[in-house]
Amino acid sequence: MRALLALLLVLAAPLPAAAERLVSKVSRDEVAITSSYTGETLTLFGSIEPEAGSTAKFVEGPFHIIITVTGPTADRVTRQKSSVFGIWLNTAEAEFAHFPTLYQVLSDAKLSDITDPVTLAKYRIPLISQAYATSKAGWWNTIAFSHETVRLMEKSGRMKLNEQGVVFHSDTFYSAQAVVPADAVPGLYIAHTYLFKNGLLIAEKSDGFTVRKIGFERFLGQAAQEQPLLYGLVCVMLALFTGWLGGVVFKR
Amino acid sequence: MQIYLPIAELSMNLFFLVGIGGAVGFLSGLFGVGGGFLLTPLLIFSGVPAPVAVASVTGQVVAASTSGALSYYRRGQIDLHLALYLVLSSVIGASLGVATFQLLRSTGQLELFISLGFLILLGFVGTLMMVESVRAILKRRAGVVVRDKLPNQHNWFHGLPLRVRFKRSRLYISVVPVLVIGLCIGFIGSLLGIGGGFILVPALVYLLRVPGNMVIGTSLLQVVAMMAATTILHAVSSQSVDILLAFCLMVGGTVGAQFGASAGKYLRGEQLRALLAMLVLGVSIRFGLSLILAPADVFSTAVKGLGG
Repeated sequence: MRALLALLLVLAAPLPAAAERLVSKVSRDEVAITSSYTGETLTLFGSIEPEAGSTAKFVEGPFHIIITVTGPTADRVTRQKSSVFGIWLNTAEAEFAHFPTLYQVLSDAKLSDITDPVTLAKYRIPLISQAYATSKAGWWNTIAFSHETVRLMEKSGRMKLNEQGVVFHSDTFYSAQAVVPADAVPGLYIAHTYLFKNGLLIAEKSDGFTVRKIGFERFLGQAAQEQPLLYGLVCVMLALFTGWLGGVVFKR
Repeated sequence: MQIYLPIAELSMNLFFLVGIGGAVGFLSGLFGVGGGFLLTPLLIFSGVPAPVAVASVTGQVVAASTSGALSYYRRGQIDLHLALYLVLSSVIGASLGVATFQLLRSTGQLELFISLGFLILLGFVGTLMMVESVRAILKRRAGVVVRDKLPNQHNWFHGLPLRVRFKRSRLYISVVPVLVIGLCIGFIGSLLGIGGGFILVPALVYLLRVPGNMVIGTSLLQVVAMMAATTILHAVSSQSVDILLAFCLMVGGTVGAQFGASAGKYLRGEQLRALLAMLVLGVSIRFGLSLILAPADVFSTAVKGLGG
């Protein structure tokens, strides 16, 4: 019994000074979509501090930060056209289940300089790993279509890798800017921060923020989903009224 | 000024939307067609997801056709009895069309089908109109007096069973061809997001021999009723009608249509038809090229269930 207690005491003793913890925050926890919404820029910031209860007064770097911002997921399908008897039509496709509608990677250095590819893949950090992880196709189609999907997503601004996106203002204080685009899907967004030191992951933290419609936009979106018949009728009434008003105003 | 469209979930320029609504409205007032066949492709090209574009344009077509239908009604130039048969059958056609729309969307061939549909339909109608109007223009040039056709000869299908007397149109014909025409228009219209006025008018004139003064009004009423039903069907089945998008287009469209209608007075009928034929053929060629020419990117990606 005494031996067990001694063991517990040893285990509970403060870890060596190497233990760091990550304190992070997103500048806003809600992005409101109003009628004039055209996208928003959020600031993600934080600092690296000694572990709570640690005797260390300061932490020693150099540190590297990788932040991934992941939007709500949706099933996605990528199609390939080919020429059949002179007509171009979709002939092959690959599906991705729960593929993020937005995925941005921000870091303070090249990903390959921060850690090794195996670690990056393990935490699904590179853009392509998001496609590999969600693909429902066979291995050949997964490789071919994942690259194309990521390329198309990057082209439309929904996927982005910015290796200068995180800026260190001091040895331990950093900030980054994430852009929520104008066509962002409403829902919960996760900003996941990874802290690396000498190629090893030493701390990580998740912060969330929501993108949601408010006011009139929220009302319309809900009405279309929950009262589709009524919503359709109102659309038709509005159309009839507008047409009638046009006729009256211009007296054709 | 940007405006956020809550169903399309993207933000677009308000003036751009009202502008294309107005431009297409001008053309629709000029030629007496709904303009859906121009507006739907324009919206898809501007980045609106295809289902939202098709469903919202149906709302705009209702507004664009209402003021026209009302003024024809006041002048007594609508055959309500005939319109009733057309509307009932076209609503059935439209519900079949909306169901097919969903089916094609799930197989991934919606885009191909819309392109092929526009190509064949517009190519066919455009060529017919072009030939007819060029002939009329040449005849007028040559000094031949062109009389409005008085089509009073019967076709074989006028004598099918279930004959009904349409007093306004002075017709005593079988309802079978009427119902078939309504069914086809409803099916095509809901599938392609077009009112189908430019198919219905020739069908009424050349197939049913409806007198000229009744054709436009009856066709407009049919378009209003059918597109109203299609809007509701789309709202219920796919929740893809964006009321703000539709409203922006409506405002532009109704104003544009008034100017188009007054501009139309300065052009003769066959000239108008030749211009419309060119427009229709142009859109059809555009769709044809998109099928034949190598696409800029052979890969495309979309959220499943949206954007085809």
